Amino acid sequence: MGLTPTYNEHELIAALKARDNQAFNYLYEHYSGSLYSIVLQIVQNATLANDVLQDIFVNIWRRIETYDPAKGRLFTWMLNISRNASIDLLRSKNYLNSRKNRELTDDVYVNDQVTRTNTDSIGLNKFLTKLRPDHRILIELAYFKGYTHEEIAHIENIPLGTVKTRIRNALIQLREYLK
Amino acid sequence: MNIQEYILSGIVESYVLGLANPEESVEFESICMAHPEVHAAREVFEKQLEDRLRLQQVAPPREIKSRIFSQIGMEQTRSPEEPGNSLKRPVMIQRSGFARFVAAASLVLLLGSVLLNLYLLSQYKRSISQYKELLVSQEQLAHANQSMNTKLENYESAIGHIRDPRMAIVKMPGVPHSPAPSGMATVYWNKDSKEVYLLVNQLPKPVTGKQYQLWAIVDGKPVDAGVFDLPEEPQLMKLKIVPNAQAFAITLEKKGGSETPTMEAMYVMGKVTG
Repeated sequence: MGLTPTYNEHELIAALKARDNQAFNYLYEHYSGSLYSIVLQIVQNATLANDVLQDIFVNIWRRIETYDPAKGRLFTWMLNISRNASIDLLRSKNYLNSRKNRELTDDVYVNDQVTRTNTDSIGLNKFLTKLRPDHRILIELAYFKGYTHEEIAHIENIPLGTVKTRIRNALIQLREYLK
Repeated sequence: MNIQEYILSGIVESYVLGLANPEESVEFESICMAHPEVHAAREVFEKQLEDRLRLQQVAPPREIKSRIFSQIGMEQTRSPEEPGNSLKRPVMIQRSGFARFVAAASLVLLLGSVLLNLYLLSQYKRSISQYKELLVSQEQLAHANQSMNTKLENYESAIGHIRDPRMAIVKMPGVPHSPAPSGMATVYWNKDSKEVYLLVNQLPKPVTGKQYQLWAIVDGKPVDAGVFDLPEEPQLMKLKIVPNAQAFAITLEKKGGSETPTMEAMYVMGKVTG
């Protein structure tokens, strides 16, 4: 991409809002790999991840007007779009049907243990392996499955306060891990 | 609230990762605005997260990019410029070509629209001037029509008089020794109302300073019946009332008429019959 101009974040956002195709090309080249790794970790299926990634970038293109820099960096916004799109797919009827066709078991947690080995080495999963198991399961449910704290308290049969404390502690560890 | 404790509580990470609930998010956003150190902590974590995920990125299949760009290619209007990447992204080039075609087609359509507008404008201006010309000629026609109507009324009035059964018709041919022996005039004399109408059939145009004068001959004596000018077209002229007459005659007199006729200048004369 030697001939493609580089952008600082401010310029990139302005160019994207101006529907600049070259800027969108730059955006894809710089961020698709990072976002794809998160999508893969959540969806855990390459074919589905490809479809989700396509939807994500089309959505970024369409919804760039709604991006508010006051609420966070562009990447953070795109990361959240990616995570939400992946979780939506995870919960959609189509995905459940395809899973049923693929797997004989409906137990997503057992299944996760089997398939996660594929993505263990990428993205935040590498960080997860460093967490205590009782913290890790909560991050998996909250971040990678999209459950609310209340839902997790119900699923894990532990008090809501404990869920919140453990997740906060895990996130503090994540901050230290990223430093 | 202790801001440092708040920063270290895990709320920053929770917010950035989308794990904070709506109330926590709203609170974090307002605190972030009020406290630059919270904002800075958020920026640091965001940057670290971004950098770490970039280190561990997984390149998606190349075809995904093609699919994305052909999908948004349908929605976008700008033409992409991607020099040097023609071998890598054939689909991009196709779309680029299509976008250029659309752009060129748009320009052609725009130019066509401008030309059409100019043409329509000139047509409009031409129509306006034609309309004004038509208005003028319509006014002329109306004017001509009015004068024709006036003329027609005159003729109708004249014919009305001629048809009147009480009207005595006195033909006045040229007299012997008349300056114009072939002259001819006709008097229409209503014996009831005593009105006199004169039709000049043929008389020479008088010289300057002279005027024709009609005389009624009453008991052998000429009585003035009025002077007249030759009309450009033959028409019935109303002259003076004549109560009684046995004959009519026309002489050429000085302008304004004479008290007694100049006998040498008598042109035509006719007797009242019946």
